[in-house]
Amino acid sequence: MASERELQISPIVQESLVHNTRNDNQTLNNLHSLTASLLGVAAGILGLESLAGFAFYISFSLLAAALFYVLRVAPSSLPAGKSLGDTSRYFRRGGGFEFWTGGLLGGLAGYPPRSGEGAAPPPHRRAD
Amino acid sequence: MTILSKTFTVLGSILLAHACYSAREHTTLQSPRATAAAGSVSLPVDIIIETIVSTVIIITGLVLGTKPLRPLEWRVWAGKIEREGAEGFTDNSGKVDRDFMGNPFSVLESRPNFVDIRKQRREFAEWLRQKDKVLQGQ
Repeated sequence: MASERELQISPIVQESLVHNTRNDNQTLNNLHSLTASLLGVAAGILGLESLAGFAFYISFSLLAAALFYVLRVAPSSLPAGKSLGDTSRYFRRGGGFEFWTGGLLGGLAGYPPRSGEGAAPPPHRRAD
Repeated sequence: MTILSKTFTVLGSILLAHACYSAREHTTLQSPRATAAAGSVSLPVDIIIETIVSTVIIITGLVLGTKPLRPLEWRVWAGKIEREGAEGFTDNSGKVDRDFMGNPFSVLESRPNFVDIRKQRREFAEWLRQKDKVLQGQ
């Protein structure tokens, strides 16, 4: 109820919402999928598997979100009076969680480490 | 901005490719016995650092390459249009976005219902009279 009232008081622009979040406009979602496959390559090179691989993926996608915040959101949202870490100038109110962790779920499909390029030797080599 | 982003991405990709090649070489040349003794494969620290640094560089390049965001709230968005016009809605290369449509209230500026047709007729008659006068003067 409160959010509906809030929307009536300060309506939002649907086109901007689509522009900021959707895939076709090379903004947040696209960034997440590119980042995820890049992290897959990096994890493959480092030979990270299972838990270490996921820790690597989680920390670096948070880092990507932080970089996006610092370079794209903060320069105009801090002077507008938003508090630090508040993304509501460009993303849905209450969507802060979505902004910071969206890459984790959205990019997961593209993540699996490219083990073919990695440092881990084939099993028969390890058995020697 | 777009040149900066591309430079970052290309530089990072070169570093990443180099790290990948080094890791590959390292595993190929590492003696099997050393591998067995260590229990698992360990990369040299410089390759690890190179991989991480190149990843961060590429991510920075990708972030710089994203299109500028647009304000979500209607009042902020409309205020930006009013203050900056089309310059506020460009992509990285400085071209105005295709879907920029200008002032959302511009339709109110030209409402045919409110045209004062009698005044316009008066102005037209005045203009005609002056033209006649000029022609007669010649």
